Amino acid sequence: MQVAKVLRGWSVSPWGVYSVWRRHARVYQNTWLVNFLPPVLEPVIYLISFGYGFTPMVGELTYRGQTVTYLVFIGPAMIGLGLLFQAFFEGAYGCFLRLNFQRTWHGLLTAPLSFSEVFLGEWLWAATRGTIAGLLIGIVIVGIGLYPWYALVVSLPLIFLGGLLFGGMGLLAAGIVQTIDQINVPVFLLIVPMFTLCGTYFPIDNLPPLLRSLATVLPLSPMVSLLRWPLGLPPSWPLQLVWLVGLMMLMGYLAWRQIHRKLFG
Amino acid sequence: MQLVARSISKHYGDREVVRGIDLGLSPGQVLGLLGPNGAGKSTTVGMLYGMVIPSRGAVHLGPWNVQTQGRQARHHMGIVTQDDNLDPDFDVLENLIYFARHYRLTGLTARRRAAEVLEQVGLTGREKSRIEELSGGLKRRLVLARALLNQPRMVFLDEPTTGLDPDARQDFWKLVSQLRAAGCGILLTTHYMDEAERLCDHLLLLQQGKVVDQGTPLELIERTVGHEVVEVEGVATEWLKDLAARAGVWSRPFSSGYLLVLPAAQPQALLAQIEQEQPSRLSRRRANLEDVFLKLTGTSL
Repeated sequence: MQVAKVLRGWSVSPWGVYSVWRRHARVYQNTWLVNFLPPVLEPVIYLISFGYGFTPMVGELTYRGQTVTYLVFIGPAMIGLGLLFQAFFEGAYGCFLRLNFQRTWHGLLTAPLSFSEVFLGEWLWAATRGTIAGLLIGIVIVGIGLYPWYALVVSLPLIFLGGLLFGGMGLLAAGIVQTIDQINVPVFLLIVPMFTLCGTYFPIDNLPPLLRSLATVLPLSPMVSLLRWPLGLPPSWPLQLVWLVGLMMLMGYLAWRQIHRKLFG
Repeated sequence: MQLVARSISKHYGDREVVRGIDLGLSPGQVLGLLGPNGAGKSTTVGMLYGMVIPSRGAVHLGPWNVQTQGRQARHHMGIVTQDDNLDPDFDVLENLIYFARHYRLTGLTARRRAAEVLEQVGLTGREKSRIEELSGGLKRRLVLARALLNQPRMVFLDEPTTGLDPDARQDFWKLVSQLRAAGCGILLTTHYMDEAERLCDHLLLLQQGKVVDQGTPLELIERTVGHEVVEVEGVATEWLKDLAARAGVWSRPFSSGYLLVLPAAQPQALLAQIEQEQPSRLSRRRANLEDVFLKLTGTSL
């Protein structure tokens, strides 16, 4: 009841959010083959190349007191990577195109939809794309025996949270930049460092203190660390979860405000 | 259900784009906003349907405040924006079906309604066409079809015929007349005088964000200019200016010649005087909105 009241206050109806989300989902469905392949292929390529390339050198490593093969170590991180790329790029490029080139937002706002409904539909859609990618990669790594199937099921809410967080970051980028090329700035300042530093290919404890502190704060680190829960959780895991939820809400709010400003001045 | 705007203004920083416009629109009426580029027409329309937040003033559609209850108000509105924002990823039918969902029209109901509006705008048979295959005129018709999905009470047409060829414009005008006959209130912005004169029951003339005059097209023409004008070429401007002053009629340079209003009493006498000067061109015609604009604003559209 309370939630319904708050939503009404924001001029948000579940139907409005759903119908915007459904529009984006339908466009995705129309070109599903093109859309399905890259999110799965990219991390699988990383998995194969880094897996084959580094396993002879690394062999096994110790993580949370357990000895695991290198592939078992990087497997769950690939879920995080697929999630990051798909949710962020959908939020950033997808939303920027719909705001500035296709003017889909302007069209949607001629329908009986509020700004918040269009925003939430867009945000949920970016999160959905991230979740689809995370899930597909998860199925691949479960298939090759690098992650237990029940762990993937249990991790689904976490994957969706990651989708919301990285999708929110993408939407914020779309709201801030003036030209599409400027999206490269957050990509190189944020996405690439996360991709390389955040415990994806090596434990962040290997990093020197300053870099380690930076990597710990970047949200992909807690995400990957939590996705590796079948190998053991760090003592600070509740804090990591709170950090991810807090950051997700902050990104959502900032993106909402920024796009509102872009559209309405 | 009436659309009422009370002293709406909009400024961006120091720049005031719309300054205190009042208007009312009733069902079955076509209200035109007429003005040159940059007069504030689109900003005003944006405020009327909720895409632009007024700096001052408020807009109501029936019981709803468009700014705070935009969702409810837009349930009864159909909006054709100036730019085409059709979905390039969808074909014609999908564009309608996925838009119908925003009005909670789904499944068979949505398909039936989509077929009806396609027929209404003459696009039956083009259901499977891609958007990029449509000409400018057909795209406009599809945007109109999309706006009509929920049987709106108020229809907003923001420069709907800009860039269309004469045939497509005629077709669009026919659709507007049909909508009016069906009881829709229509708000039309245009910078085509013939369009405004032909379609609108009431006109607001805008310049620099303000209403400079308003009335029916005929009233505006008769009140501001008169009944007839004459365009003259090949006669000394000074002489014509003198002639107009003596006759007590308005005149001004126009295109490559000069424009004079013919007095209601004895227009022939004035014409005869001009003819004696052997002009290279002399054309007598009915006064129109273009002349009204020239007189009121000193600028042509």
